[in-house]
Amino acid sequence: MSASIILEFLRQGWLALAGAFLAFALLAGMAQILRISSAGVAGANLWVWQSVSALVSILVLSLFAFLGIPQIVQALQHSLPGAAGCGPISVLGQYASDLIGGLVAVRMLKATFISVLSASIGGTSTFSQALIECGEAIFGMLIAAAAIPLAAWFLGTC
Amino acid sequence: MFDPIMEQILAIARDAWAFLAGLLIVVALLGGLYYVLQGTAGAAFGGSRMTSMAIIGAVGLVILVLFAFLFLPQIGEMLKNFQPNPPF
Repeated sequence: MSASIILEFLRQGWLALAGAFLAFALLAGMAQILRISSAGVAGANLWVWQSVSALVSILVLSLFAFLGIPQIVQALQHSLPGAAGCGPISVLGQYASDLIGGLVAVRMLKATFISVLSASIGGTSTFSQALIECGEAIFGMLIAAAAIPLAAWFLGTC
Repeated sequence: MFDPIMEQILAIARDAWAFLAGLLIVVALLGGLYYVLQGTAGAAFGGSRMTSMAIIGAVGLVILVLFAFLFLPQIGEMLKNFQPNPPF
């Protein structure tokens, strides 16, 4: 019961974050085009190319967030052994697997959201930190895939 | 659950979009005026390269503004169609 409430909360959070992501990506694109036009008029070639690359990176990150992250999360969720053992441990394993998947999905979307914000203002360090956070989330989910059967074995399997 | 917050964020984002669009128009108009001045000056004292660069710049500016006002909303629509449901 409580797990489904938390999952519903995470689902709502995912939808809100995806909507905000879309709005901010478009604003960042508009800001980059403004930067391109002003730099072009002023004759700042480097600034123009920086803005063009930022615009492309925003587009690529948006496509990754909307097309890549759901596929990655689904693939990782299928790799999680949710129903190891039997009895309460099986139910707990299933809840844990669902919660881990939800948390990882929201965390990855948040990291990509920060990446887009960072790319829109040219902040490279935040950009790398956000991508590292994305990798950490995937790695954590892989570790959880090994931890659930171990916990089932430790607590007793049928 | 997050709808009230989202409404606030989207209202601010809409205002920011309108502000950026207005600013882009102002910058484009000023840039266009600058290129017209450059082209006129070039034509007046025989600077053909200066005039050509001014014409190219003005055309580029128009293309850029068209890109911003036609292409970006289409990209937004495309991304809105791709907006995924929660994968969990």
